[in-house]
Formats: sequence, C-alpha cells, structure tokens
Amino acid sequence: MSRIGVFVCHCGENISRTVDVERVAAEVGKLPGVALATDYKYMCSDPGQGLLKKAIAEQRLSHVVVAACSPRMHERTFRKAVESAGINPFLCEMANIREHCSWVHDNREEATEKAIEIVGMMVERVKRNRALPAITVPVTKRSLIIGGGIAGIQAALDIADAGHEVVLVEREPSIGGHMAQLSETFPTLDCSQCIMTPRMVDVANHPRITLHSYSEVEHVEGYIGNFQVTIRKKARSVDEKKCTGCGVCIEKCPIRKIPNKFDCNLGMRPAIYIPFPQAVPNTPVIDRESCAMFKSGKCGLCKKVCGPGAVDYEQEDRLIVEPVGAIVVATGFDLYDITEKPKGSQIKGYGEFGHGRIPDVIDGMTFERLASASGPTGGRILRPSDGREPKQIVFIQCVGSRAREKGISYCSKVCCMYTAKQTMLYHHKVHDGQAYVFFMDARTPGKSYDEFWRRSIEEEEAVYIRGMVSRLYQKGDKIVVMGSDIAVGVQVEIEADMVVLATAVQPRSGADILAQKLGISYDKYHFYSEAHAKLRPVECATAGIYLAGACQGPKDIPDTVSQASAAAAKVMTLFAREKLEREPIVARVREAGCVGCFYCRKVCAYGAIEEKEIRDRQGNLIKVVAYVNPGVCGGCGTCQATCPSKSVELDGYTDEQIVAMIEAL
Amino acid sequence: MTQPIDTSIYTAVTDAIRTEAARILSDGTVTAVAGYAAARRKGSSQPIVVSDAGNADKLIFTAACVNNLAVYLTKAKKDIPKSGRIGVVVKGCDLRALVGLMGESQLKRDDLYLIGVPCAGVLGSTIQPATELNTDTIAPKCLECVERLPVGCDFVPAVTPPPAPELEKKYASEIARLEAMTPAERWAYWKEQFSKCIKCYACRQVCPFCFCEQCLCDRNRPQMVETTPRPAGNMAWHIVRAMHLAGRCAGCAECERACPMDIPLNLLNRKMAKELKELFDYESGFEVLECGPLATFTEKDDQSFIK
Repeated sequence: MSRIGVFVCHCGENISRTVDVERVAAEVGKLPGVALATDYKYMCSDPGQGLLKKAIAEQRLSHVVVAACSPRMHERTFRKAVESAGINPFLCEMANIREHCSWVHDNREEATEKAIEIVGMMVERVKRNRALPAITVPVTKRSLIIGGGIAGIQAALDIADAGHEVVLVEREPSIGGHMAQLSETFPTLDCSQCIMTPRMVDVANHPRITLHSYSEVEHVEGYIGNFQVTIRKKARSVDEKKCTGCGVCIEKCPIRKIPNKFDCNLGMRPAIYIPFPQAVPNTPVIDRESCAMFKSGKCGLCKKVCGPGAVDYEQEDRLIVEPVGAIVVATGFDLYDITEKPKGSQIKGYGEFGHGRIPDVIDGMTFERLASASGPTGGRILRPSDGREPKQIVFIQCVGSRAREKGISYCSKVCCMYTAKQTMLYHHKVHDGQAYVFFMDARTPGKSYDEFWRRSIEEEEAVYIRGMVSRLYQKGDKIVVMGSDIAVGVQVEIEADMVVLATAVQPRSGADILAQKLGISYDKYHFYSEAHAKLRPVECATAGIYLAGACQGPKDIPDTVSQASAAAAKVMTLFAREKLEREPIVARVREAGCVGCFYCRKVCAYGAIEEKEIRDRQGNLIKVVAYVNPGVCGGCGTCQATCPSKSVELDGYTDEQIVAMIEAL
Repeated sequence: MTQPIDTSIYTAVTDAIRTEAARILSDGTVTAVAGYAAARRKGSSQPIVVSDAGNADKLIFTAACVNNLAVYLTKAKKDIPKSGRIGVVVKGCDLRALVGLMGESQLKRDDLYLIGVPCAGVLGSTIQPATELNTDTIAPKCLECVERLPVGCDFVPAVTPPPAPELEKKYASEIARLEAMTPAERWAYWKEQFSKCIKCYACRQVCPFCFCEQCLCDRNRPQMVETTPRPAGNMAWHIVRAMHLAGRCAGCAECERACPMDIPLNLLNRKMAKELKELFDYESGFEVLECGPLATFTEKDDQSFIK
C-alpha cells in the first residue's frame, strides 16, 4: 500500500482566497493510500520544503503530491526537495490548484470542490508512478557551425579557443560572408575588411577548426551530444591540398567577363576565380557553367599552367560524415531583391522603384561595394551606367521593411544606421555632392548610434526628408524621385544621379530547407525561432542546436558577434559535461504487444523510433518491433495516442494512470 | 429485374491459376500458394494453402470465392509458412488490403508473388454457394468495385472481366439515407444495430487490418472497452473498430460477411472512407504509402472543425 503525502499550499493568498485549503487537505486525507494531508502558507519556501522533507522521514511517505501552482513553475523545486529526502523525484507530482482553479474561479464553495477533485486525480496518478532512473547520454565534444560569416567565425573561434574541435561549413567558396563585402562600419567607420580578414585567417590557421568551404549540409541525424552530419563538399575542380594559391590559373583564364557576385555583379571575374583577394581558403574554384573546358571541352589552360597540378576537371562532389555534439546555425541573411516579385511568396515586389530596370538604382550592398577600397571602382562612388560621379544622391529607407501591405511587417534594424553611414561615406568622397534620405522614422538605439545619426545630418550635411517615395523614373540621364515630405506637407521631386534603396533583410535563401534538415522551427519569413524570446534567445527548441546572427532575425555586427559568443558559451556549457542527464519521461514500447506497424515512427516528431529485432535463442527472427531511443525521445506522447494496440506508453502518463484519473472524478 | 452476370471467364481463370501455381511451386519461386479450393458443400469454396506443385490442380476460382486471403498473411494469424516467398491469389479488393498492409510494415512486396484475378464479382454473404451469380445475388461491394482487373500483380490471367452491372450502389444510397437523418435518429439506428452484437469478435478475426497480437479491447489494465455484450461496451467496440479502420479499410466487406448478427459493419467503414475521400482526397489501398493522411499533417488539411 502506498503512503502518499499531500501538501496543500496557500500560495500566500493566491489559492487560499478562493479555495478552502484546510478542507481540501481534510477531504483528500480520507482517500485510500493517503497517509498524510496538510496545508502550509508557502510550500515553495525554505520552511515549506523543510516541512515536506520532515514529513517524508517521519511518516515514511512513498509518494508526494504538492497541490499548489503549475508544474511549470515549481515541479523542479519539489522534485529536488523530495529527492534530497530520499525518494525518487518522479514519485512526486504537482496538482495545479492555482492556475487551473483559484485564479479562474470566484465561487469559493465550487472552487474548493474542484480543488478536491484535482488533488484526488493526482493522488490516483502518483500512486501508479514508477521510480524513473536518470537517463544519461554521452557527449561528442565537437561542434558544427553552419555558415562562415562573422557569426559563424566568432562562434568557431570561441569554441575552438576553449579547446574543442569545430567543423565550419560554408556554402560559398570563401568564408567571410556579408561583412567581408562591407566598406566601413557604423558607428566608428572602421574598415570592415581590416577587422574581418584577420579573423578569417585565424580560422584557417586554427589547429582545432576544420573548414569545409564550398560545402553544404546534406543531412542531419541524431540528437543532442550525438549528431551525425553529412556534408556535401561540392566539386571545386581544384585540389585544396595541392593548390598553393599562386593565382597563375586566374591570370591565364581566357573567359574573363563573368559578373562577380561578391561585387554585386559590378566587377568581372574569370571562370576560375577566388571571390575576393583576401579569400579564405585562398584556393580558386572553377565556375563550371562558364568554363570553356566544361562547356566545350576545349581549353585546359589553367591545368597546363598550374605548377603543383592542382586543377582537376574530373573532381566530383564528395559526401563526408562528421560526428558532432552541438550545432550552431549562423546562415545569415540575404537582401530583399526588389527586381521582381519573388515566385510563390506572399511578398509583393517593388516594380515602382525601378531596381533592375534603371541601372543607377542600386541597393545598399552594391553601394558598399562601390565605397569599398577593394571594390570594382577602387572605392570611388561612380554610377554603374556611365561611370560618372553622382552629384545628387537619394537614399530610400524601409524598402520592403515595415510594409505590411507588401508582405513584410518587421523592421530590418540595420538600415537606418547603414544609410546614415553611407551618406557620410558619400560626403567624404564626393565633397560637392548632396545626399537626400527619405525615411519613415530613424531607429537608432545602440551605443553611440544616435550620436552617429545626428552627425550625418549636422556635420555631413545629409538632408533627411520624412516621407516615402511613390515613384521613380528615368528622365535623360537623371532619375526623378517623387515623394512626399510629411513634416512640411508638400510633394517633393528630386532629380537624382543615383538612388540607393535600403532593402529589407531576409533570411538566406534555402533557410527553410536547412531548418527541415535540422528539425528546428522557423517563422513565416523563415527566420529561425529561438526557444524563448527573452530567456533562451540563442537556443532552438531542438536540444543541442543554437542560433547566431541574422538567421534568427535582422542584426547588426555587434549584436551578431554577441549572439555568436553566447551560442559558443552554450556549446561550451554542454561540452563541460562528460555525460548528459535528461528528464527520463520518455515513451517505452511494450514489446509483447507491438506488431511493428510503425505508425509511431510516422508520427514521431523527434525521429526517436527505431526498429528492433526480436530473436529466439537460436537466433531466428521472431518479429520486428518499435524501439524508442530514450536519448532522442522528447516525451510528447504522440506515439501513445497513435498506437492502435496501445503498446507504447509514456512514463508517468500511461493509459492506466489517465483512466484512473478520469475514474477519480 | 434479375439479370444473370457472365462468369464464364472463371473457367479460364481457374486453369490459368493452376498452371501458374504449378510453375512457381516447381521452379522454387514460392514455397506455398494461398488460394481457393472446392469445399464439401456443392459449389462452395474454402481457402487452401498449396505447398506441393502436385496439388496445384486443387485451386479454383468461382463466384463463391469470397474470402479475403490477405488475412492469412498477417503476423497475428500464423497459418502460412513464414519462410520464403508466398504466392497468393488476389481479387482487386483483396489486393487493396495487401497494399495497405505493405504500407504498415506487415508485408513486403518482395515476399509475395501476386496472382491477380480478373473478377466479375462474387456472391453476397447471405447467398447459398451453388447459386448463379446475378444482379440479385452479387455482393454489394462488387457494385462499387473499381478494381475488377488488379494492377501491379506478378501474374494476371489474360482474360477481360465483363463490365460491372449498372445497378444502384447499395452502400452509397444507404449512407445517403443515414446522412439525411437527424443525429438523434442516426444514433438510434446505430444503437439498435449494435445492440444485436454478441461480442464474438468475428469481425476482428476476419479483418486483415486487425493484425494486433493483443487487441486493446482484450486488455484489462486499463480496461478500455467493456467485454460483456452490453450496450455501452458494444457501442465502444464498434466505434473503436471504425476509427481504427478509417483511412485503412480496403472495403473487402469480410466483417459484414462474418458477422452472425447481420450488423451492417461495412456501411460504417464505407462512411469513414467517404469522409477520407472528401477531407483528404484519399482512397486507401492503391499505393504503398509511407504516411497516410491520418498520420500526418499538412497546412492544406481541413481546419473547419476548429470553432
């Protein structure tokens, strides 16, 4: 016979105001199996927990029910208290008579009756609880970082410096991401490449970082501490080990007029190329769609001139499997392309702004390349159409962002600041030029940010016009910008030489596909979702996967670096342990009843169901049944609800317990 | 007006089944063939497992070959040798059951050698076996059959079944009649039907999809369904059965045939199938599915029930 102790909490007055706690204790005390039922003002307080521990020792209690608040609030508290008194923590349950009862009722009589029933149900349930041993799983102390921008680089360096191995996967031929493309950064105007490229070199030289550039994550299996990640290394056509990075192949390549994506298609590159001079790794890649050798089989010049014989036209994609214990996702962002309406998206295009039709209407990133000393113009601001210096330049903010009617309602966060910066860069380079900015609001929270914005107006003479632009059109070699100044209440028309659009920040293309491979959730824009907006901002709801940078939401560089270091700290916390202990509330299969229809596997969101062969002593196969991997099971109980023969049950929530609870009503 | 249905192809079908069974048994393709043989009463048939090529001429196919042999291939009903490939004689309706079982990991296609039967229809469950097949004696399920010539089999005799007789579809019209009732009337109808149930579980034993080794209705910790044939337990059992077969039932109507109390069990199953068709555009048993509509969720699913 069980000796159950029931402890009814007043929660100050939160419960006792509407529920007669003394009566609850008295009524529940009469239930079979209840050895002790008492009430106390604050069960969670130190004296309250002391009372519980003392009662366990004196009354030789076998199970405990605490009738108080939600288990989300204090289940852990009381299970710990019970454990310290020598009872298995899973023999303690909470009956929620606060959120489920006192807070939502005002009739004291009825609320008390309901509280008695709630506690009675939990008494029946706890009676049938099993003592559960802790489940431990080993930890592979290596981490995978997806994305080699500043977020991925920062996380990789932090984790590697802490002494753990890191596998860094980058989709492009070089790491560096968007930060390598920027000219100067707000609010200090330091050169982006000057601070970025040393970090890239650190990654390349770090003894504990394995870099897979020009690679993508193909497939992810496993669970926290024990992931198996399949990585596709795309055929580079150049052997990374043999190549010395001398660059002769790039000089000799006869196909030279291919727009360079890194320079936003303003500059040209050959068919065998590195995206930019400081690329890491400094190994060229052959663009097979443009290369004459791949198109017609006639050329082979790069192979002839390559001293170490690194060029390999036969190279194929390779799949490698990396075992890791934690994954940091740092896939970053794309700028919203307003040229055309994205296919299959709810986001409407911006045809009225002429981007893609009028050559001198460019986006913010293209401006960065024009202003960059390593860019296609050597850092001179020149019009893409005729190479002249623009004397009147218009910046338009919130293109795509904060436009509910266009499909994106969020603020892209960085545009106010980078537009202010770009007006300054323009003013520094074109002294007799004038910059205009059309803006809705200036959003400048951040250290030294507002001062920076004020500086662009007060010292660098940018003219800010509050209002949006309705239309742009080409007139001769000018672009006529028609907008409204709502502060003054007049229509404005500016004949500009160049227009820069601060287009919205969006997650990287393919972010949703990667999320599905990883089993993490994402919002309607495909930004990855954190486990808790405030208290767990860098963790995914899927254990062992962490987020860094703009893949979670628009972010500037300081925020991205902070989040990357935070994600690295989470990984290191995980790696500080040899074994992981996890809540043992997992599903178990009753093998005698299982017929192996595997409906449970079809509905399992965690991929926890495996096949298990049952053999007799001679080794003959009797049957194949489902097996729940306790390290992976999330304890959601969907399998239990689905199983036609009721052969899989969640510990603590068995059908027997639930039926007993219903019958107690 | 009663019209005869042409079953002349069954002679050719019987010959072809015998020849094929003898061939695959003697060349070792299969270890056994499950099919139909003549039973003692005139014109009747019974299931048979032939494991010797010499016995292949025992196999027949007639309008009395009503059984769904898929039930003999499932794990819980271990009547057929487990080793090696098994040949099985299948009508279109039986094939749908086999396809469903493959999707539920109960059978592997490679373990089966399917001998498809071009089918003109079989006799209804209350008809004496020696009766001629006509528009009165044909089983109601055959009137709604869409797979008279099974597809995807390893062997199908080269004959063409006659077109289905143009008759009122009995299940469809009965469902329409029930749907026109008020919920109270419908409840009363089923209550009366289920009150006849004697809990013999013949419907469960004959159903190819009731393959669980331990039916949840036989469990007592907790007891999900009352075991005695009383109204509440009867209702619970038949609702559990209908829900467990939703999206799976292949429509062989064996439950209805086996029921000694003449409860219209297949009517309930057809109603569930109709719901699946309307809600998810899904019909069971036509392709081996990794995940049927009731074990998955898509954003396109009907949400109108959320109010």
